[in-house]
Amino acid sequence: MKPWTACSVLAAVVLALSTAPPAVAHHAIQAEYEMGQTKGFTGVMTRFAMINPHCRWFFEETKADGTKVTWEMSGAGPQALRAAGLVRIFQIGQPYEVTFAPAKNGANVGRVRTMKGPDGKVITLFHEDPTDPLNN
Amino acid sequence: MMLRRIRTSTSIAAVVAATLWLTTADATTQQPASNGNVATPRTADGKVDFSGMWVGTGGGDLKPDESGNITVLSRGRPCHPGQECKPAINFERDSGVRQRMNPNLPRYKPEHWARVEDLDVNGNFKDPEIKCYPAGLPRMGAPGKIVQTPTELIFLYASHNTFRVIPIDGRDHDPIRSQDLLYYGDSIGKWEGDTLVIDSVGFTDETWLAWPGYFHTNNMRVVERLTRQGNTLTWQATVHDPEVLMEPWTMNPVRRNLNPNPKALLVEDLPCESRDSAHIVTRERG
Repeated sequence: MKPWTACSVLAAVVLALSTAPPAVAHHAIQAEYEMGQTKGFTGVMTRFAMINPHCRWFFEETKADGTKVTWEMSGAGPQALRAAGLVRIFQIGQPYEVTFAPAKNGANVGRVRTMKGPDGKVITLFHEDPTDPLNN
Repeated sequence: MMLRRIRTSTSIAAVVAATLWLTTADATTQQPASNGNVATPRTADGKVDFSGMWVGTGGGDLKPDESGNITVLSRGRPCHPGQECKPAINFERDSGVRQRMNPNLPRYKPEHWARVEDLDVNGNFKDPEIKCYPAGLPRMGAPGKIVQTPTELIFLYASHNTFRVIPIDGRDHDPIRSQDLLYYGDSIGKWEGDTLVIDSVGFTDETWLAWPGYFHTNNMRVVERLTRQGNTLTWQATVHDPEVLMEPWTMNPVRRNLNPNPKALLVEDLPCESRDSAHIVTRERG
């Protein structure tokens, strides 16, 4: 399976699983993130963690003055990633342009919206904007 | 852009339909598949054979757009005028409402109502699953795969790499394990006609029965009833906990269809890290 095909499968599986009757604990995403805001950074992916209940991507951003900032992004569940064969598509040590909904508590944590990898392709895994006429 | 979204949504819909058909379904919302012409399999000794894979494994065939990009946005309903309107807000709030729409509630004794309410209101911080604890029985639901021998049923669950070994050889509860503090209890199974009745005791009190703060004591007894008609499995649990409940609580039955893919496998689950807890700042649940 081609990586990008696999990626699309992931997203479908994520949605499918999120649509199924809830069987496990869950917290409202807005209890943790400012879902109406978008922030971004460019950083090197330092770790991809296949953990429950949400996969995590870790990045290190180098500011203009040379200081380092670490970021932790949350996304889909690992079972969905694995079912789609997407475990090895993320390239540790490579730069990514990332956009995300920021954590409400101000930590360098976010719910990932998009990740643009070194090949220039963009993965978008988020929720529709309910005010976007295209979605209604 | 619009065309790509439509294509994506169409493909998603197909995957959703396929996944839901294979995965858990509350019997109140899904009727069993038409299995009228499928004989219920039986073992050599004439018992109903529950062996099989009872969950799907996901999958699909979505395509990237012409640039190789992938855009999949989870659907949510539009907002009413004046309503807070941000991505995922309605999706999550609908989930919270849906979790409370089930009219089948455990009836707690009045002196425990305040505790249930507190656990529910503060569920973002107190739900044991948020802290990566196992769901435990009965919250774990129906098994994903069953292996049956003449003397045992082995239940396998994808979540937390969980297994249960249930003797069906007529033995009674083990006197030591039945006094243990287990997440899945000490279980024994007995046949009542074509129904397998599983009796479990010896529980920890650190799990919940369900999402809305339904706690239990470590003297809880859970009775599961398992039936199979054709290729449809029905699982239903009843909770007996007279210290806190006014009456036994029989949960809604769960029906699952047999996964027809002979190559379908349960793969190992991955560790759970409670990394969200440190960043949850409001009590809103969903």
